[in-house]
Amino acid sequence: MESLPASLIGMGLAAAGLGGAGVGLGFIFGKAIEAFARQPSAEGPLSKYIWIGAAFVEAIALYGLVLAFIIMGKGG
Amino acid sequence: MITEAYASAGAAGKEAAASGLPQFESSVFASQIFWTFVSFFILLMLLRKYVLPAIETILDARASRIADEIQKAEAGRKEAERLQANFQGQLVAARQTAAKMMEEARLDAARMKEQAHEELQQELTKKKNAALVEIEQAKHKAMEEVRTVAVELSMQVAEKLIVKSMSDEDASRMVQEALTNLGESQAQLH
Amino acid sequence: MNFSLVAEAWAENAPNVAVGAPKLDPLHHFQVVNYVKLAPFGFDISISNSVVWMWLAVAVAFGLFRYAMRAPTLVPGRMQSVAEAAYLFLDGIVNDVIGPSGKKFFPGIFTLFFFVLFCNWLGLLPGSFTVTSQLIVTGTLALSIFVLCIFLGVYHHGWKFLGFFVPHGLPPFLLPLIVPIEVISFLARPVSLAVRLFANMTAGHTLLGVLFFFTVTLSWFGAWLPFGFTVVFSGFEVFIGFIQAYIFTMLTCVYLNDALHLH
Repeated sequence: MESLPASLIGMGLAAAGLGGAGVGLGFIFGKAIEAFARQPSAEGPLSKYIWIGAAFVEAIALYGLVLAFIIMGKGG
Repeated sequence: MITEAYASAGAAGKEAAASGLPQFESSVFASQIFWTFVSFFILLMLLRKYVLPAIETILDARASRIADEIQKAEAGRKEAERLQANFQGQLVAARQTAAKMMEEARLDAARMKEQAHEELQQELTKKKNAALVEIEQAKHKAMEEVRTVAVELSMQVAEKLIVKSMSDEDASRMVQEALTNLGESQAQLH
Repeated sequence: MNFSLVAEAWAENAPNVAVGAPKLDPLHHFQVVNYVKLAPFGFDISISNSVVWMWLAVAVAFGLFRYAMRAPTLVPGRMQSVAEAAYLFLDGIVNDVIGPSGKKFFPGIFTLFFFVLFCNWLGLLPGSFTVTSQLIVTGTLALSIFVLCIFLGVYHHGWKFLGFFVPHGLPPFLLPLIVPIEVISFLARPVSLAVRLFANMTAGHTLLGVLFFFTVTLSWFGAWLPFGFTVVFSGFEVFIGFIQAYIFTMLTCVYLNDALHLH
């Protein structure tokens, strides 16, 4: 297989990591809304951790992006 | 200069194309490592020298100011309480003084009334006694006068008797007359 | 470079591309350009656009704080309130995570937060350069923190610092399995710290670059949609810049705490 198409395919596959991050973000915000519905007074102290968690999960997706960029450099 | 730099860098970028992202180009790493350290420590020094002490000072000043104010307010409250207690005591004392003065005045008035009453009584008694003495004297004087009159009368009668050598009838009549006169004068006195 | 060649080819064939449009490569603005080449004693300290924007971040951070605290008063003005709030915010992080023994790291943590924050935010200005999108910059910071943590751990605990890799209450037969995992996760700390910040900044700016690329290449009735998205994402990037600076700082505090108080 030629290296350019292979690297393009690899970059696309690296984007599959977004799925995991999507699941993670869904969990975070879904559980957060559930928690706030049960305990509205917890919204203040908890929302800080939600944003931190969201940023962590988002970073996981971005590792996939970095991987894609690395593949982009190796190909061609 | 900058445009030239961009042009040359673009050429270099094309050459180093295999590295993909521009961030992975290792030719510019050394200077960035150096300047990251330098920039970070310059910022650290500047903030530590000029900014953080200022913020700390002002925060501490505010904290101590607030503590001071609270302390002052507490002291003020205590002072006010003390003053109030003081005032309360003074009020009680004044009330007691007033009550005492009232009592004294009442007693004074009673005593003065008593005294006046007594004096009046004495005066009245004295006047009454004086009047009684006067009456007695007048009575005495009147009796004295009556006696004098009687004596004079008897003297006159005796004179006439002696002068005229009057009869018995005459004599008894004259005595009767004299007695009647005396009785009249006595009636006049009473 | 094949990716940008593809983009250029597309741009050449696409209709309605503005004449003299800038290079339609979303990765173009990550290019480090040396303005002045300096290499005393063979050591490269060239001044590039990355270095200039680093200086600008330092100047803006210091200038804003200096301006805010130029004449501090007991009743603060607006800027002074913000400066004090920033101080208390970071003091809160250091106190919550490290505790009283973190007091001596406070200036460093404070500087780290505002260095990263202003590098992130200045990068959002059109035509500017995002210093924190350079892996080498975030890597330098992260590795320095990592080395500092190891140094502190060894300095405070000596050989006991190696107990850091052995969780409490672990059955001995699991040791060969868990200890390598712990070591790897420990070694992954600076990598994840550096890559998280770098990847967030790079991804955000690449996304903005791609959206602008669409804005320029599409005809007017199609261009407003990606252009609107660039507006939204610019706002989002401000938020991301803050969150990433916060996470970078907080994780630094966590790592310092781990080194100071073994768990």
